[in-house]
Amino acid sequence: MPGTSDLVVETTGLRKEFRTRRGRKVVAVDGLDLAVPAGGVHGFLGPNGSGKTTTIRMLLGLARPTTGSMALFGEPVPRRLPQVMGRIGAVVEQPKFVPAFTGRRNLTLLAHTVGVPTKAVDAAIAQVGLSGREKERYKGYSLGMKQRLAIAATLLKSPDLLILDEPTNGLDPAGIRDIRTMIRELGENGVTVLLSSHILAEVQQVCHSVSIIGRGRLLASGAVEDLVGEQQVKQVRVGVADPGAAQRALQATRWKVGRDGDRLVVEGAEHAEDITRVLAGHDIYVRELTPVRADLESVFLQLTHDTSLHGSGSAVVDDDTTDETTEGGAA
Amino acid sequence: MRLLRVEVSRFFSRRAVVLLVLGAALLTGLLAGSRIWDTRPVTASELAEAKAQVAEQLAQPDFQRELRTCRDDPETYFGPGATSADCDVNLVPTTENYLNRATLDLAQERRGNGTALVVFVAALMIIVGTTYAGGDWHTGSISNQLLFEPRRTRVWVTKALVALVGCGVVAAVLLAAFWTALALVADARGVSTGSGTVSLIAWESLRGVALAAAGGLGGYALTMLLRHTVGTLALLFAYAAGGEALLALLPVDGSARFSPTYNLFAWVRDGVRVYDQSVVCSPSQGPTCDQRLSITLVDGATYLGVLLLVTLVLSAVLFRRRDVP
Repeated sequence: MPGTSDLVVETTGLRKEFRTRRGRKVVAVDGLDLAVPAGGVHGFLGPNGSGKTTTIRMLLGLARPTTGSMALFGEPVPRRLPQVMGRIGAVVEQPKFVPAFTGRRNLTLLAHTVGVPTKAVDAAIAQVGLSGREKERYKGYSLGMKQRLAIAATLLKSPDLLILDEPTNGLDPAGIRDIRTMIRELGENGVTVLLSSHILAEVQQVCHSVSIIGRGRLLASGAVEDLVGEQQVKQVRVGVADPGAAQRALQATRWKVGRDGDRLVVEGAEHAEDITRVLAGHDIYVRELTPVRADLESVFLQLTHDTSLHGSGSAVVDDDTTDETTEGGAA
Repeated sequence: MRLLRVEVSRFFSRRAVVLLVLGAALLTGLLAGSRIWDTRPVTASELAEAKAQVAEQLAQPDFQRELRTCRDDPETYFGPGATSADCDVNLVPTTENYLNRATLDLAQERRGNGTALVVFVAALMIIVGTTYAGGDWHTGSISNQLLFEPRRTRVWVTKALVALVGCGVVAAVLLAAFWTALALVADARGVSTGSGTVSLIAWESLRGVALAAAGGLGGYALTMLLRHTVGTLALLFAYAAGGEALLALLPVDGSARFSPTYNLFAWVRDGVRVYDQSVVCSPSQGPTCDQRLSITLVDGATYLGVLLLVTLVLSAVLFRRRDVP
């Protein structure tokens, strides 16, 4: 693998196969090439079972790749993972702490593992808004509090790379806003954040760049605006009193005209006023003219839909079910 | 060293571990207390009561008749050659018959309660080791720990060390407390204990501590392998109970050599001599056929050591290689 110094996360041909308890082989990640540049917030998108969590788990040494190579900060992992782990904070799937310990004790034990002073624990607790609740037992925490504690744990090491798997899961609206703001600020302050999320609006709001995967493969990657721009199709939604007559009038042009209920969707017009001019020429007057903007959701749905239609047919596992394989029988 | 401190803290912070240690301490105390109470010196009132009971029985007409009959014909009672003195010795009640109080003899305690305590503490330490590792898998916190210390061998070894030393220290404290309490009480009662007995107790206790430490380590290693506390305990129970049943059914001479229980006692008691059901003696063999089997200390150590070693190697290697959920 070429050691590209400005890439914080890099995978080449990464593949992960599991065997189910019934012996069936499933491919969770299928030749994934992922590149996350340094700095900023990078979204990691994919439908359920696309291999996001498995990829993250392999990067963090929790799962072994079947084939392929990975690097973090240019260092090959898992071989050199101990050398770079001190720079990485991560939340993988659900927060996992000792239920009988307080939130603070859980963090203190983790902090002492890597020689982080106790005062950093208090700072991390304050940063995620858990002050005052840190002396309660973890098992009494709400899902949102657990999530906050998990994020606090990632901050203990003052990481250069933060890997967050669905970090706003279970948070209330205020919590979601706080965490998104925190992620954005971390990204702006030089921390590279790899944000795996199903919430497309969240990714679009927070991320500078994004990688979209489906069936364990990379489908698209790049700046959010570029991806949205690439997929942008100039469409205009037109509302008129007589859609049939308007459709006939517009079909005389080179534009594509379709129906969307009682409205028309016109594709190919350079300017919206061209449409009004044509319709006015036929004594049809427009009461609605709305440009249809592509967003990350439509890009995501289009890419992942195409994959599901044209996929290689290799079986994939849902991220949430990987522990039902022979590799990871949970207690 | 940092990791070791964290693991020691985690070990003694686990509620299940603390409860098991407290339970072991409580039962050790109860056992010591019951032996001290059961061997307490006879009080003056107890002696007086016993004497009164003797006098009452001696005064019973039925008893006097029985005694007279015996003295008239002692051989009917005690066989040829018996004399009337035998009737007095065997039939006439004494105060000791009514007091039924043994003295605190450490040599006897070693063979009885001492061995029972060692086995009991070792069994609890196996559960301690099991629950110490099982908690990490049950809560999933093992993956969180690996996000902070990804060197799996280091994590496994550190935890193993804590299980070994933690269980060993707990067992050492409990056994030392038990024997010290009994020795002090025996000394206060003027019961002397020979240096040979003290030495035997010390060696048996040391073997007990080693057994408990190894039990804790083995329980930990097996749980790291199976990733399930209850699964580990079920497997151990199945091995202990099922193993004995299987050995009893095996038509192979000397199969008792592989009994988990016999080997365990061979280690604790510096060898045992047991009855081996698998050896069938025919009348033609006469006295040359011996159904008893000797299992030495070394035999027991080898048996238990091999089991532990296989478990440790499998556990460490697979923990390094397998995916962590």
